[in-house]
Amino acid sequence: MAEDRARQPIDWSAVRAVIGKDVDAVRRSKAIVLPMLIVPFLLLVVLPLVIGIAARSQSSIDVSKFLSNIPGDLARPILRLPVRQQLVVLVNGYLLAPLFLIVPLMVSAVLAADAFAGEKERKTLETLLHLPLSERDLFIAKLLAAFVPAVVLSWVGFVCFAVVTNTVAWPVMHRIFVPTRLWLVMIFWVAPAVAALGLGVMVRVSARARTTQEANQLGGAVILPLIFLAVGQSAGLLLVSVQIALAIGLVLWVIALALCARGAHRFTRDQLAARL
Amino acid sequence: MTAIEVRDLSRSFGANVALEGLTFDLRAGEVLALLGPNGAGKTTTVRLLNGVLAPDRGEARVLGIDPARDGDALRRHTGVLTENAGLDDRLTARENLEFVAKVRGLRGAGGARRIDELLGRFGMTDRADDKVQGFSTGQRKRLALARALLHDPEVLFLDEPTSGLDPAATRDVIELIGSLATERGRTVVLCTHFLGEAGRLAHRMAVLHHGRLHAFGRPDELAAQLWDGLDADLDLGVAADERIRSLVEQVDGVSMATATPEGLRVRVHDRDAMARVVALLVGREVPVYGAIPRVPTLEDVYFAIEARVGSQPPPAPEARLDG
Repeated sequence: MAEDRARQPIDWSAVRAVIGKDVDAVRRSKAIVLPMLIVPFLLLVVLPLVIGIAARSQSSIDVSKFLSNIPGDLARPILRLPVRQQLVVLVNGYLLAPLFLIVPLMVSAVLAADAFAGEKERKTLETLLHLPLSERDLFIAKLLAAFVPAVVLSWVGFVCFAVVTNTVAWPVMHRIFVPTRLWLVMIFWVAPAVAALGLGVMVRVSARARTTQEANQLGGAVILPLIFLAVGQSAGLLLVSVQIALAIGLVLWVIALALCARGAHRFTRDQLAARL
Repeated sequence: MTAIEVRDLSRSFGANVALEGLTFDLRAGEVLALLGPNGAGKTTTVRLLNGVLAPDRGEARVLGIDPARDGDALRRHTGVLTENAGLDDRLTARENLEFVAKVRGLRGAGGARRIDELLGRFGMTDRADDKVQGFSTGQRKRLALARALLHDPEVLFLDEPTSGLDPAATRDVIELIGSLATERGRTVVLCTHFLGEAGRLAHRMAVLHHGRLHAFGRPDELAAQLWDGLDADLDLGVAADERIRSLVEQVDGVSMATATPEGLRVRVHDRDAMARVVALLVGREVPVYGAIPRVPTLEDVYFAIEARVGSQPPPAPEARLDG
């Protein structure tokens, strides 16, 4: 069976068929779609909106006391701003950035659990295994079915965030201040890496889990600490140079790809069928 | 032409031996009934023959292809109905078929026509655009059968194809499977607990028990191995009395004679012995209204083998209405 993988080219039409089927099915599942939309909506639309409105109020919140307690590298450029701009730049420009990474992580993990463990739960996995679809192609299809929507949703969420943030803060800022260069690194480099990381974890977890719920629970135990780690890491990201942010993204990519590669190694018909 | 060749095929899961030393040949256009209790190794056999599982030992060739080495190539020519229909509840009937059609390279107008044709064939046209979620077991089974036949496979592996179907649909599916084999030359491996349906369809039967093959062959060949002789019911109008019964039992070539409500059941070694029995009765002015040979059914053979596996003597074949 292993020989099949190396010899044949990828059957992209079959891969697209699996991705299309998975995406169609997920779109119709409210239990999956609603959390995937509500969390980004709260984080990337409601929160910046509230902060922007608060910053525009006459009695603007003075954050200078808070800024005096955080590292100078971060505080200095904000402290140089007028008081009314400090709140919106601190929260929307800096503090929300790490929270943004929750979106690709959560979405990829949820979709991966549905794509891998969900097939077992719905008793549709055996049917897939009996199709003329190589293990490699099936694995690629399942990865992409979770990865692509996670990245697309993150990017769409970020565009919404940028529009809302800049619009609501315009009377205070009088300029477009999001995205910064570091934000762009986050969006195009770190966020996909985080999505891949969530995917890698769930691929491993789903191999053992029999249901989506079990996969989510097991994955949550692994992913929640990663979320906190990501939050801590990315809060620091905005303090560092673009080069260091790129390096951190690279480390995340390496871990994610290693997890996925190990998952691929174990993703064999024989092992999957033996657990049915 | 041999469609399936299996030699010493074996597979274990940890300490559990799922299949041990399976060996048989099946010709193209034949229906094989794979029989046995739950856990006998039927599903493992299908998974091994379609390259979903790899064997620990032994080898198989299906349509000349080794499933363990070239499974994807083989699966282009096989269709599988798993015991569970394996349909995505969130998709419609048509979408479930479209997905498999795309993976199998059936695209465009040709693919759509084939899907419409099969939906019609299985009476699912009016539910084609409904989500599978609300379907009955029978509707799921019919849709899964349609999916298995989408690409007109040369070999079909069907696991309980009629379970959950109503009598009319059951008859329809049995006729379809029969015609696929006899008219289209398709080879069918049928896993079933319904021995009547197996008896109507199967050219050969294989009895598995705890992963071991205990019998393989044509049901009549296996019956000949199990029972030495031919059973027949003699219609005498009334139950034979003890005098007649003992007289018949003494005829050369008769191994057994038992009174029945309508006359006598005898077991003879050959047709000549039956002629001697009839001549004796007629000579004694006992009217013989009929002599009906009793051919053991697949069900008789199966239970006899099951009994032998359990170290019990094989029971005499029982009369079956569907035999």
